[in-house]
Parts: sequence; C-alpha cells; structure tokens
Amino acid sequence: MRFSLKTVAAAALVSSLGCGSAMADWHKSYVIEWYEPAHYYGTDTGIVDPGTDCPAGSNPEIDHIKVLIDAGYTEQEAEWLRDQNHPYRLPNHGSNQMAFRGEGRANVYTQPWTYPDPGLTPVSGTISQGVDLDGDKGNGFTSPDGRTGIDNEFYRTVGCWKTYRGPDRLSSGAMTFNDSMREGSWTVAIVVSGSGDDPMNDDDVKVAFYDSQDALVKDGNGEIATDYTFIVSPHKKFEAIFDAKTVDGQIISTEPMDEVWMRDPSYNRELQLLKAQVHLKMEDDGRLTGVFAGYRPWEPVYEGWVRARGTVIESLTWVNLPGVWYALKRNADYSPEGADGEKTHISFAMRVEAVEAYVMHPDADEELTQVASFKDIAVEGPERPYRSFTRDGIVPDKDGVILAGPDAPIVPPTVTREELKSRLAAQKSAASGGQ
Amino acid sequence: MLRRLIIPGLAGFAAIGGLLSYTAFAEGGKSSSAIVVASNELATVLAPEELEQVGERESFISAYRRLTESQYRHAIADIFGDDIKVEARFEPERREEGLQAVGNAQLSVTTSGLEQYYSLARSISRQVVSAERETDYLPCDVTSSKDAARKCADEFVQEIGGKLYRRPLTKAERTLTLTIWDASAEGKDDYTQAFEHALTSLLISPEFLFRTEVAERVDDSDAFQLDAYSKASRLAFYLWDSPPDAELLEAAARGDLNTLDGLSVQVERLLDSPRFDLGVRAFFTDMLHFESFETLTKDTMTYPKFSQAVADSAREETLRFLIQHLVDDEGDYRDIFTTKKTVLNRTLAAVYNVPYPSREEWTTYEFDEDTERSGILTQVSFAALFSHPGSSSPTLRGKHLQEIFQCTKIPDPPADVDFSKVQAIEEGTVRERLDAHRTDPTCASCHILMDPAGLALENFDSLGQFRTLENGDPIDVSADIFGQEYSGATGVGEYMKSNPQVVSCVVQKAYAYGKGRKNDYREGQFLNSKTEEFADAGYQLKDLFRSLLTDPKFYEVEVPEGLSARTDSASLTTKAPASGGN
Repeated sequence: MRFSLKTVAAAALVSSLGCGSAMADWHKSYVIEWYEPAHYYGTDTGIVDPGTDCPAGSNPEIDHIKVLIDAGYTEQEAEWLRDQNHPYRLPNHGSNQMAFRGEGRANVYTQPWTYPDPGLTPVSGTISQGVDLDGDKGNGFTSPDGRTGIDNEFYRTVGCWKTYRGPDRLSSGAMTFNDSMREGSWTVAIVVSGSGDDPMNDDDVKVAFYDSQDALVKDGNGEIATDYTFIVSPHKKFEAIFDAKTVDGQIISTEPMDEVWMRDPSYNRELQLLKAQVHLKMEDDGRLTGVFAGYRPWEPVYEGWVRARGTVIESLTWVNLPGVWYALKRNADYSPEGADGEKTHISFAMRVEAVEAYVMHPDADEELTQVASFKDIAVEGPERPYRSFTRDGIVPDKDGVILAGPDAPIVPPTVTREELKSRLAAQKSAASGGQ
Repeated sequence: MLRRLIIPGLAGFAAIGGLLSYTAFAEGGKSSSAIVVASNELATVLAPEELEQVGERESFISAYRRLTESQYRHAIADIFGDDIKVEARFEPERREEGLQAVGNAQLSVTTSGLEQYYSLARSISRQVVSAERETDYLPCDVTSSKDAARKCADEFVQEIGGKLYRRPLTKAERTLTLTIWDASAEGKDDYTQAFEHALTSLLISPEFLFRTEVAERVDDSDAFQLDAYSKASRLAFYLWDSPPDAELLEAAARGDLNTLDGLSVQVERLLDSPRFDLGVRAFFTDMLHFESFETLTKDTMTYPKFSQAVADSAREETLRFLIQHLVDDEGDYRDIFTTKKTVLNRTLAAVYNVPYPSREEWTTYEFDEDTERSGILTQVSFAALFSHPGSSSPTLRGKHLQEIFQCTKIPDPPADVDFSKVQAIEEGTVRERLDAHRTDPTCASCHILMDPAGLALENFDSLGQFRTLENGDPIDVSADIFGQEYSGATGVGEYMKSNPQVVSCVVQKAYAYGKGRKNDYREGQFLNSKTEEFADAGYQLKDLFRSLLTDPKFYEVEVPEGLSARTDSASLTTKAPASGGN
C-alpha cells in the first residue's frame, strides 16, 4: 500500500481548502475501477439462482403476450406485436406498442399509474451491504461483516430483478455500465487525506470523489491499470466530499453530508445522495473497497430505465416496468421534507472498488495531496445529461413517425409498411380535421 | 556466379524483367565486397576476372547501402508530402558489428522484398498522380497534346528522378524512364497512367532504394573519396535520416562539398536544422538495438502494466530523452548514464509509479535525487529490451552494456549450457541462480564481463519497475566491476560515466554508422584523436558529429585491391553530370 506522507505548510493548506480546517499530512489516491449498487447475492452459484436473498431466484422472464392480452389486446394482436420475425412487422412498431397498455391505452412508461401494479418480488433476505443511514440499529439489514441497521431499501426493492442481481461484478446492469466507464466514458477519482500520524487510525479524514476527463487505462490482462495519473476536472455537480475518520484502515463517515452528487453508473447518469456517508477500507494490497450510501431520489431511477427504451428493458431484463415504479414508490423511506413529507427518496448504497492512482490538482502540475473543493473554479457550461434517442420510452422510426399509440391500428400481418403508413397518415389527418 | 549485369532500375519496371535483374543483383551484388563500376551510361557489376581492369577507372561504386524503412519514409514524405501513405512491410534489416548501418551495406533485396517495393512503388505512384495531387507534381496537363505531355514527362522525370536518385539522372536513365512513359502513353489521350508507370520505375530503381556511394579519384593521386553527390547523401542521411534537400544537392553540383569551407557550411546548416532530431533518432535507434521493440513481449501475469502502448512509449521516451539531453540541453554524453531527468508520458509515469504532472502528451520529468533511477540504464527501454519476458536478466543487461556502450563483443554461450537452474525463477534471487557463472571457470571468463553490472541493476524488474525484493528475498545490488565496488543502478551509472571506453565507443559507433562499414584497425589513431576532440568539447554530440563530418577522412574510400594502379588510359567517370547527363 502506497501512502504519501507530507508535511505541508499550514498556510498553504488553509488557502487551498478555503477554510480553516486542520492540516492534512498524509493522503492516498485512487480511481474507481468498478462500482455498482451494493447488493448481496445470497448463493454461491450462477447469476440468477435461488438464494437467501431471493428464494425463488431472480424474477422470471415476463410473458409479454399475456401482459398484452391482460391489457386488452386480442391474442392475435398480441402475438403479432411480439413476433420479432414477422416479415411485415414494422421496425419499432410492435415494440413501441408495448408502451400503450395502460388504461385507455395510455403509455405505461410515462404514466405507470394507469396500469395496475403487477408487483415486483422483493428481496426477502436479511443481509445487505450498505450503511446505517438513519441511526436505528433495529431496522434494516445486517451487513456481511455483522453491522446491523443497514438501510438499503433500494436493494430490497430491486435486488431480485435480473438486471441488478448477481454476484459482485456479474449482474448484467453493472457490467453494462462499468464496461462503458472502463472503456473511457467517464472517470471518478478519489482522494483520501488526513492529519494524523497514522493513516490507518486518524480522526480527521476527508474523502473526495472527483470527476476527471482522463480515461481509465486497461493493463495487459484487461483490468484497470494501477498508478495512472488523473487530473481533477472541476465540476459544479460531480464532486462529493465526506468528513470521516479511519479505524484500522476503514474509512467511516463521522457525519452525514446533507447532499452530494456523483456520476451514477446508470442510464440516469446523475446520482443525488442525501444524508450521504462512506464506509470504505484501504486494503493491504493497495485497493480501496467499500460503499458510499445515502438516500437517492427514486423517480429518476425509474425514468432512467424508461429513457433507455422501456420496451427493450422489459424484454431483456425480465421486468414489468410499471412494477418497478410501484415498488420504488412503495419502499421509499426518506423525505427531505421531514418524517411526514412525501417519501421521494430511497435508501441506497453503492459498492466501490478502486485502484491506486495519482490524482492531480486541476492545474495538472502537482499531486492533490489534500482534499479540497474545486466547485468554485468549475467552468459554467452545459450539464451532461443522458441524451436519449427515445421519446416517452419508445423509439420514433426514421421517418419521425411513431407507429404506435393509443389509436394506432393493430393490423393483421399482411399489411405492408406503406399501407400501414398510409392508414396512419389518414388517421392523423382525420384527427386533425383534415388540415 | 557473378556475371556482368546491368543494374535493373534503368531497365524499366516491367515486373518480370525487374525481378530477374534484381535476383541477379541480389546474388551478385554483395555490394561493398563486389566491385561495381559506373559509367555515364549504366552501372555494371564486374566479374572477378575483370577486376584487374578496374585500376584504369577514375571512379567506382564503393557501396550500395539499402535505405532503412525510416529513410524510405522520410524520402517519400520530403519529395511528395507527408500525406502520402506508405503502407508496406519492409524487409528486416541486418545488424553487423553492432550497427544496422553496417549490416545494411551488406544487404540486397530478396524476391519477396522486391515484390513489396514494387507494390509500394505502384501505390505511391498512384497517389502522386491522383486527381487530388497531380497538379502538385505534374508540371502540365495530362490530357494535353502528346508532344506537350512528352515534354512535360521529360521535365517530370528530371525533377522527380533527381530527387529520388539524389543526383541528376544520366541521359541513359532519362531515356529509359521516358521509354516506359512512351510505352504507357501509346494510344492514350490521358497520360496519367504513363506518368504513374514512369514514376513507378523510378521508385523501384536501385538508384532510389540504395544509396549508391561513388568514389572518385582525388586529384591525380591514388586516393579515392566520395563524389559530391555521395557526400551529400551521406551527410543528409546521417544528420537528417533523409535524402539531401535542394540546397545540399546544389552545393554538391557546385562542388562546394569538395572544399572544407563549403562542407562546413552545409554540415552546420544541417546540424542547426530541427530535422537534426531525425538524425539523432536514427543513430540511437540503431545503436540501441531498438528494432528489438518490434518483438518485445512480457508475461502480463507477471507484468500486467506491459502493453504495446508501454513498449511504444518506452522507445519514444529514450529517443526524446537523448534529443532533449544531447541536443536541446547540449548535455554531456556521459551523463546519459547518471541523470535523473527524462521525458515521460502518462503511460510511462504509471510504469515508473510517479505522478504525471502535465496535460501535454509528453513532458520533461526529473526523478527525486534519492531514487535509484540512473539515466538510460533504468529507463524502461533498456530494462525491458534486455530482459526475458518473465524475468529480468543481469546477463543480457550486462552483455548489452558491454556491446552497445563499450564496444566489447561478448562471445555467444557454448551450445551445451544447462539453463535449467537459471530459468527456475520462482524462488530466490537471480544472484543465487547465477552462482555457476561465478564458480565455473568456463562460464566465469565471459560472465565476469556481464553479470556484475547486470546484477547491480536488479532493483529494476523486466519492465523497469523498481523493486527491492525478488520472490520475497531482498535483492543484493552490490557489484565488483573490475575490482571496483559499486552499488545499484546509480553505481553502474557512475562506472559508465567514468569509463573512457564508453566515450571512445560512441565515437567508434558514430564513425562506423556514417561510413556504413566496420572500423578498420588502421583507423585507431584517427578515432583516438576524434575521441580526444570529443572530450575537449565537453562530450557534446553535435561537436562529435561536426568533427567527423567535416573531416576528409570521413569521405575517404578504401581502394579495393587491384584498383590502386592508375593508367593514363583511364577515362571513365561516374560523376553524374550536373546538367542531367548530357
């Protein structure tokens, strides 16, 4: 494990921090090479097998023909809409029409409440990674290392959903997003600094998560190489600093941070955490592991999956998306407004694996030897929201016409594309009074 | 069997004929060992029985030196622009006496190599005459009248041919190239293809692919020296790794290069050019065996940080470091073994385990004074090239310290060596494994030259990463080098810096590199004096090159046996006429 112990002039430190906090004389820096929702897979085999977390295994594949029939489509229509190989099936049509199965053929992705709650089997186990966010040891899960009161309702809600379930680093969702990060899409650098003589046991520690524009680099075995240099890229939003202490190498928050923002490895990209905490560990082999946790707004989670193209998510990840909306809403456990406010947030933890790295001051000319905020020097500019090619959870076809909708003709399979488009145009014309 | 042979390029690029001619050339043209006589018509390889007549000549071709890949690429970029794609696999070069520059003077072209050159020539020609570029290089409208196009072709052949051959074309060369143009133009209204074929014939010619060094008699003496155009090429390829530019060719045509003043002016101009970096790169690429990067590999289970990017970066680091230290900073050559300074990129910083303090792709970097880093000895290039894929090798490192930097040739090991103990790398340190090298007298006689310095570099693994343990055991980096105690890489660095053999070796290599042949023992005194000059000038690389390249001895050509006697009947000359062969 590489520590950098430095004696830094107090004046310089105070100046850098912009406050009068204690001087830091050791630091350690990392770059995240993998992070994923902190879920506990309750068996040693497979990736969807029954386990203590989900006794029936991951939630099974949905029978979408039945879903459509239940929503009022005829059997013939449902079969045609789900027939990927039908020669006259229009691109996107059958898929897009899946959205319109709410009351009055409403789009269930944008209006999930128009659809009866189909349910989403929750985690029934008692073990979860995470942090005790509410200070109540009597509720929540027990961590794998025996800590009680772990608040992770997000895991309870979606932990049996195939996209989130699996052994560490093997759930399909985590692999998708981490692959993207590891190929260079984004980078999160971490600096840990303290003021004591013993980095492993220090009461005054800060942990910062920074955005960096320097891409991760893979080594000769396809893993993220250690010891690369990453320059902090000041960002108005993606910077999270935690007050903490170290106990035998574990980095534990000393007080929750009211609000931090991270780069989320998901379709949503932005992760807001309220009452955020860290529980990390500086491993002997130089890695940093553990979790950061807090209460995240649950609606953006659902919206992220919808934006990713709800119908495809439903097919590939074996889920009935309105069920996710209902479950998140049902299990949300925090309101910024207070105990009586609407529960807009849900307890959540992110498991982190980071490797040793050099993290540089935004000027790039010297190593960042102490945690500091750079939000004030972040350049104003456009945010970097996820740019979706979908609209309302479905994909417009190349002509800009969504051949699906509440009134779309669910046509027999012998109709050609041109005929279908012609009918649709006539329908639209009629609807607009012929104008 | 050697036979009289017309060197082919002039015989056209017709594929079969060209291949046959080249094959004969390859068999017979053992370049510097064969005698090749040039007339103002055609170059000719002589059969042994004809050698006796050579003494009558005023000039002869003293060497054919095949262009290196980088020289070829630089030539094409200089003449046609660096946007021309040169996509080919070049034939491997050959190292002799520690230098490819010497080996290349022994090389010909294999049939498969000729196919590559031919294919490449066609590709380049097509690009040059393509619609996007033809106005840049063709001095006329390719769809004009045939007479006008023919006149234009003549201008084209003279101008481009002169650049490619690095001298004016002879009349015969012009005529033959135009014959190809004529054949291709027959019955056409658009002469683009005719230009393409003419250019291909020039590009496939040995006069382009080889640096033909022509020796001419000095005044009325029995001594020979390179003619002016050969001097120009030697200068340009030495200092720029590129063909001579127009100014240098003009100086050759004027005869300036045959005077010390004229020669000095051009040497100074070339040394002061930014292109001098290319020459330094080429020299050290050769001297440091950097062709080995083509096959460098490491066991990534043991050295996960190794990748092709690391290999490419390591090569580049050392070349940039040498240019920075020796050229830009005008540093002492001996300090390349001891300095803490280098030039890094982000990739290498990770291997060296240091932060990379720049947003630029490369930056100068100075290791802390208390580190074991010691100049080129601990750079990834040296550490990795002279190691095994899965372990370091004190023997390989020690061997190359001797051969590359001290010009001491280490004999190959006996055929019956049992390597099993040395290869058991899972336990202990390599010092223990190499015990037999010290205790077995048969081994010790050679290994005492290699192992001590190599063992002192053991703090650096096969990838050049610093370490203090091997298999959990502390690494002992003490060394007794010829009775002196040294420790670690910094100790070896000091040993190298203070070793006079290191200084004389680079002088020897610089001289042999330029002449393209092994140094002769009779040149010892000359090289000693150049070594002294080098030392007096503060071990400055530029001064060394300047001193060598402005010395008439650098252009002297040894007279082959049978050529020393001169008769009054001698009249042939090889000097290509400045007027273009008329």
